[in-house]
Amino acid sequence: MASLVALDAKEHRNLKVNSSKVEEVGADLHMVPVVVSEFTKLIVNYPILFTKNADTGQFSCIGLMGFEQGENLFWQEREFKTVYVPLNITRHPFYLGKDDNSDDDYVICVNRDSDLLSQTQGESIFNNDGSATSILRAAQEDLTQLVQGERQTQDFIESLSSLGLIVPLSLDITLESGEKKTINGLYSIDEEKMENLSAEQLVSLNRNGFLQAAYTQIASLSHIYSLINLKNERDANNPWFQ
Amino acid sequence: MNKAINTVVVVGGGTAGWLTAGRIAAEHLSNEHIQVVLVESPNVPIVGVGEGTWPTMRSTLLKLGIREDDFIRHCDVGFKQGAKFAQWVHNDESEYYYHPLVLPQGFNKINLVSHWQASNNAQSFSDSVCFQEAICEKGLGPKMITNAQYGAVANYAYHLNAGKFSSFLQQHCKDKLGVQHILADVIDVHENDMGDISAVITQQSGPISGDLFIDCTGFSKRLISQHYDIVSVSCRDTLFVDQALAVQVPYENDNAPMASHTISTGQEAGWIWDIGLQHRRGIGHVFSSHYQDYDDAYQVLARYVGRDISQLSVKHIKFDSGYLEKFWHRNCVAVGLSAGFVEPLEASSLVLVELSAQMIAEQLPACRSVMDIIAKRFNETFTYRWERIIDFLKLHYVLSQREEPFWVDNRRSESIPTSLQELLHLWRYHPPFDHDFTSNNEVFPAASYQYVLYGMGFKTDFSFHQNNPQDQLLAQEQFVLNQKNTMKALAMLPSHRDLINKIKQYGLQTV
Repeated sequence: MASLVALDAKEHRNLKVNSSKVEEVGADLHMVPVVVSEFTKLIVNYPILFTKNADTGQFSCIGLMGFEQGENLFWQEREFKTVYVPLNITRHPFYLGKDDNSDDDYVICVNRDSDLLSQTQGESIFNNDGSATSILRAAQEDLTQLVQGERQTQDFIESLSSLGLIVPLSLDITLESGEKKTINGLYSIDEEKMENLSAEQLVSLNRNGFLQAAYTQIASLSHIYSLINLKNERDANNPWFQ
Repeated sequence: MNKAINTVVVVGGGTAGWLTAGRIAAEHLSNEHIQVVLVESPNVPIVGVGEGTWPTMRSTLLKLGIREDDFIRHCDVGFKQGAKFAQWVHNDESEYYYHPLVLPQGFNKINLVSHWQASNNAQSFSDSVCFQEAICEKGLGPKMITNAQYGAVANYAYHLNAGKFSSFLQQHCKDKLGVQHILADVIDVHENDMGDISAVITQQSGPISGDLFIDCTGFSKRLISQHYDIVSVSCRDTLFVDQALAVQVPYENDNAPMASHTISTGQEAGWIWDIGLQHRRGIGHVFSSHYQDYDDAYQVLARYVGRDISQLSVKHIKFDSGYLEKFWHRNCVAVGLSAGFVEPLEASSLVLVELSAQMIAEQLPACRSVMDIIAKRFNETFTYRWERIIDFLKLHYVLSQREEPFWVDNRRSESIPTSLQELLHLWRYHPPFDHDFTSNNEVFPAASYQYVLYGMGFKTDFSFHQNNPQDQLLAQEQFVLNQKNTMKALAMLPSHRDLINKIKQYGLQTV
């Protein structure tokens, strides 16, 4: 569990972030939570899917990066080989926490235990006058987009659920090595059910901008094949198979 | 005159009435000619002791279009993963066995009884072949919060609050299924020239006419017996208990553990049920008044509850075990307590309502001229089902070795139905399997008989037929698989109470 503390210009005036290492946070993640406002960027590389939170059973959107725990097939030669890196990775080591004094306000926190932070190496987050540096301002933007995005994504999921559009996706993949894998716990929008929606249902989805998001999700499924290719390439380069 | 069957009048508004009305209305929702009316007395309270279900309730609720999380939130529901029978073989407090709802491992491939018996180990039959006993003993629920509505890791049924369930069904049937609800007392019954019921006459709303009348009036059997004089076949010579004392016991606190199985504990002249709902336990002592008087029976219940029950309301119910000679007569069919009643040892009451409602809904006669054919079929089906249920309940008594007179008399052969005696003789040399139960209308599968027989220490003599080596290997695989499944289930399932709390907080997804 991350140990979070609220950022304070005085207390953290010397705090530095090693920006070049931020993306390493995602090196061994096989999925990353994403929000609807990222879909148009994710669609370039990522399969976008739904999974259930193990603790609440509630759906969330994720970008798929691998087929098993610890496997990020986009992470090669110490960097993301994708055009876009999701907000939930780039925002590190910053988090949003609820303000103790007000229910609606958020404060920016850092994970004190993060390897990305130090007093000596990296780029400062506060200027000498206590104002935010470009690093911190970028993080603020990411976090704002995430908070708004999460709310919108929940609305998106609720609209889809109420129309019965989310269905389990059982992935049976066969790798070149001959290994067969079944991947459970993933969900997608059912294209056929989308086609059967009534005019009113389509209009109502469109009004919230969810119609495009829904079709983007469906279109992104083809990237599963790209991921399988990446997996085959990785296996082919693995000395074990030479 | 060959009239279409369009209006179905259900008389009585307990769980039987609403389940039947709802099931018929849901089945024929798209047919605008079919109208279901439920007439309920505003003055007669429901009996409401049917609080244990079978796994069939999941498909019944699904057919009615009910969300599982709504049902769990509104009816005080707990999950039920079978029954734990304590002190049934001997009067010994440490003794118990399980009748779980998950089939023995590999049941479709192999009968494990002979292999389990040959292994001669101390592990019980149920524990050796099924992972559910382990889950129940640890107080775990049958599913995870990520499982969909009605989806399961381990097969399950429910414990529910019958009063709340009736109200919940009522709301749903009226709002979603178009069932017409009339609050009125039936004071008379009118017949047409053929002798069919043409209308029930009510005090508040006058005559209510219909084409098919369903008697869900409970023990009063207002239509089927009071009007048509259909009598019951008593089974009191087989099943001796005839009275029950029921009490509701609140938990010590909101987060007290909830049992995820019915606990049934043998007593001197009967047994005690104990079921866990969200806010209270439902506990009842079923006993035979020939062997124990009311005061002693009350003391037995008080001792079991372990605290003063004089402050709690104790419901006293007298009943005559048995079922109607004929359930469907002319255009009237009895469903629920009006059709019959036996002790709730295997929660047969609500499942019979579901099965009856299903058959009426799915085979609703199109017109009067075919009704007698369907009625005959219905009567044969349910007579068979009642007989099988009685056999199965009796089995629990026959295998006991308790010494009190109630138990000794229960083992006298004249009290054991011939059908059961025959099976018991067969099972001395063959373990129960699917070929023993070949009707389309079976209620208990062969697996249930295995769980009870071998749970109670019955031994089958396999000396005439040896196990072949291939089967031995296959059996060994199943025992190992069961151990693996047990460990997996124990590691992944949440506690029953946590699961219920989470479902109430977050709901369940439909997929």
